[in-house]
Amino acid sequence: MSQMASIELTNRQFLLQRMISNAWTIFLKDLKLDYRRVENFFSMLFFSLVILLVFTFALSPEQTKNIGILCGVFWISFLLSGILSLGKSFSLERENSCLDALLISPISRGSIFLGKMLANMAMIIVVQLIVIPIFGVLFNGVVFDHVAIFIFISFMASIGFSSLGTLLAGMTSDIRFKEILLPILLFPLLVPLLLACVKISQSILAGEGLSPVVDWFRLLAGFDLIFLIISYLTFEFVMEV
Amino acid sequence: MKRILGLTTIVGFIVMFLMVFLWSPIESSMGLVQKIMYVHVPSAWTGYLAVAVAFIFSILYLWKRIEQFDVVASCSIEIGAIFCGLALITGSIWAKPTWNTFWTWDARLTTTLILFLIIMGYLLLRRFSEYGEKQARISAVIAIIGFLDIILVHMSVVWWRTLHQPSTVFSEKPEVINDQILTTLIICVSVFSILYAFLLISRIELEQKNRLFFKKISAEGELN
Repeated sequence: MSQMASIELTNRQFLLQRMISNAWTIFLKDLKLDYRRVENFFSMLFFSLVILLVFTFALSPEQTKNIGILCGVFWISFLLSGILSLGKSFSLERENSCLDALLISPISRGSIFLGKMLANMAMIIVVQLIVIPIFGVLFNGVVFDHVAIFIFISFMASIGFSSLGTLLAGMTSDIRFKEILLPILLFPLLVPLLLACVKISQSILAGEGLSPVVDWFRLLAGFDLIFLIISYLTFEFVMEV
Repeated sequence: MKRILGLTTIVGFIVMFLMVFLWSPIESSMGLVQKIMYVHVPSAWTGYLAVAVAFIFSILYLWKRIEQFDVVASCSIEIGAIFCGLALITGSIWAKPTWNTFWTWDARLTTTLILFLIIMGYLLLRRFSEYGEKQARISAVIAIIGFLDIILVHMSVVWWRTLHQPSTVFSEKPEVINDQILTTLIICVSVFSILYAFLLISRIELEQKNRLFFKKISAEGELN
């Protein structure tokens, strides 16, 4: 009996290891594709900066000194440039029927989801690493004392954003008007994420630290966890051949 | 079944109008305008009910893959869109004389607006995808995620609005002390629910006729 149990356990461990290594392979593949087509990365980066620029002109000088407004501007640019990354991650697969090849290979849908989600996260985080200092420079340097926490919050936000985003991008990948449908579907679902991030950044930039916004931080972590799991589970329904 | 529901709805509406305008008392602070509540609250309730029904049938569809479940889910969401929109509009009309503004980013209003946008996303998704098994599958996934998300949205928006701004000025529902008001409200909610059932059955019949017609004229044939 215990021998059967230990075989069962190693079987499960083996499957888990295989799932993780498959996900890692797909993650590296997507990163390699992005490296070869580095214009994707630059388009995300410059789109982010363009949004910040547009807000500078849309707001009056007193408004751009207001911390609340600045946090909103930052997270709007995060959302809009993240959408570019999501759209790209599945449109890459459309060429040469790569997506069909991926789906008929013996890789579980969950690994495909994880690999793509991690690739999206990586892109978003690298873009944010560059945008955060530039944001600080453009808007009075308020951010420079808190860069590390800002990067951490971006990391947390990118988990939730990439999970839901990858799922919805997979869903809309072969529909007409997918570029406009993805934001329409995604942004209402991301409201808790957006609220939490804005509240946390406002508190950080105002110098109050994380203690008054611990609840929001818990909401952010909970949102990430819940939607990571739900997206992982429902991805196989989205990606049937 | 449909005929019974239809007749009950008509009778129910007549009873509802009589009760609202003749029987229930005029509220002291708001006056006659408060009567909008008898349309606003049932619309909101029916909207949420419709989305909940769609959620259940979406899960059933993904589990059993029976086309009928997808039909029920999509028709329910459509009707939910109407009632949700009605709730938002009647709420704004009610808000202007009572709160002196058409809109406020109060927790419940914001949640209903976000729900409305999620419903619109679902309907757009159905429109843009082609009729078939994929359309049914992905709209089921959106319905499930939307429903689960709206719970989180409600929690976060309530926090957003109450953490620094205790909402003392705006009360979301008038205090229903009066028994007559409460009874009228319950009757209205029931009538609206019966109306929802009637609309749902009618819409399902229409959708089934549509699909039968489409299958006949299309080269593809069956849904699978």
